[in-house]
Amino acid sequence: MGILAVLWEKWVEFRRDFYKITVSNMMTPLMYLVIFGMGIQTTSHGEPYLNFLIPGVIAMVTMTGSFSAVTQNMSVQRLYEKALDQVMISPTPLWQFLTGQIIGGSLRGLYAGCIVLLLTLPIHTGLIFNGWSFLVMLLNGAVFSTLGLVLSFTAKSYSDAPRYNAFIIMPMSFLCNTFFSTDTMPGGIRQVVMVLPLSQASAMMRTIAAGQPAGFAGFGILLTYLAILGFISFVYIYKKKNL
Amino acid sequence: MIEIKDLTKKFGDFTAVDRLNLTIETGEFFGLLGPNGAGKTTTISMLSTVLLPTSGEIRIDGKVLDRRASSEKKKISVVTQEYSMRQDMTINEVMEYQGRLYYLPKDVRKKKADELLEFAGLTEYRRRVVRHLSGGMKRKLMICRALMTEPEILLLDEPTAGMDALARRQMWNLLRQLQSRNLTILLTTHFIDEAQTLCNRVALMNKGKMDVIDTPDSLIKQLGPYAVDETAKDTLSSRYFADRNSAVEYLSTCNESAALRNTTLEDVFLSRMGRNITSR
Repeated sequence: MGILAVLWEKWVEFRRDFYKITVSNMMTPLMYLVIFGMGIQTTSHGEPYLNFLIPGVIAMVTMTGSFSAVTQNMSVQRLYEKALDQVMISPTPLWQFLTGQIIGGSLRGLYAGCIVLLLTLPIHTGLIFNGWSFLVMLLNGAVFSTLGLVLSFTAKSYSDAPRYNAFIIMPMSFLCNTFFSTDTMPGGIRQVVMVLPLSQASAMMRTIAAGQPAGFAGFGILLTYLAILGFISFVYIYKKKNL
Repeated sequence: MIEIKDLTKKFGDFTAVDRLNLTIETGEFFGLLGPNGAGKTTTISMLSTVLLPTSGEIRIDGKVLDRRASSEKKKISVVTQEYSMRQDMTINEVMEYQGRLYYLPKDVRKKKADELLEFAGLTEYRRRVVRHLSGGMKRKLMICRALMTEPEILLLDEPTAGMDALARRQMWNLLRQLQSRNLTILLTTHFIDEAQTLCNRVALMNKGKMDVIDTPDSLIKQLGPYAVDETAKDTLSSRYFADRNSAVEYLSTCNESAALRNTTLEDVFLSRMGRNITSR
């Protein structure tokens, strides 16, 4: 099964860079939690701001963890190492290769989210994280892994990967329901931002953390993104003339 | 058998490969020669499906080769011009990953990797990361990786680039052994002597177009098997003769720096590409 071959490759990469991956996944959320959650003491919706922040940060790190894992890896393999060439000629069906990349990226996002959960464990927030939370993390990671695949197939040079971070990931991190509620946004902009996948993932994480069931609409939106981006990545790898 | 029909590859306005037609029989050792930019690597890239043709098609044993053709792709292994592998993996991991991509069972993966790394003299380096290998070792690893899957067709794009003379000879011996296993080999190389030594047939490409296809001996015979080199000012030029007597007769009319020798495939290459050797 080609998916397992790709996951094995991802595992080798994870095992080798375990400390680097773990520390880098830890640093950014830790800073956000300390500065915005504990340093600037405030409340949101009548609750400590930290309770609002933690689910949003978890959603955000699943996005950054999965996106960067796939984008950096694929951009280097395709443009610099040319290691993708060996996959292209191998009998492993390319859809399996892509699926392996998406699952692998999604698991990296889940790992980043679990690190935040561990970091916040000593703080007794009363937030609830259950199987649905992990499903949201996986799904959000899958969406951004797939986005990472599409963008790395379109990248013209290795330096494009940091640009994608600057133009797509960073604005989403700050605007999409992570640090403040989209309810405060003006009409029009709010609707656009709420349709973005991170906004949905944050909202669902927050709803689940408050002990309420996550709505199916959020899952539907994330699955729609996954289907569209998945389709584009499949078209790229099968049809793009100069990969 | 590889059949290439009217294969064309364009990058914008630039035509890298222009209506290439070629048939390579099973078990044949075929050389694709040409100057830089002739379209050799583009052709290999299309055979490995990394690039898709603008028009035309490639057939492997009668079946069209494309990115979905898993059963055809299983028959092919490629050694690319660049070191196309994960630089942060160890030799062991590179071999393991290749075996997994080709669905080899665990015991077969281990056995083949052990055999090939031993053969290539890489066993003691098997835990070393690719980034820390020398150019020659990386090249050997690429050959090992390509052979791990027991391919029926081996595409070699400049396989001896960056190797010293001894390593090149070792590689030639290895390739000869492979040929004796009825493996179909397509070789592109800048070393014309390599093609003359190894290949049953060669094709000369220039500016994306096929110039000529024949056996090395036949091409040499067509040009004239005897060559007289003359040096005039800073230019070395050669004249070719169908028989030795004519060559000797001509040599007697030249200055004493002229020399008689056997014509090589490199002479054919230079003659057809319309180039003179200039000593500077």
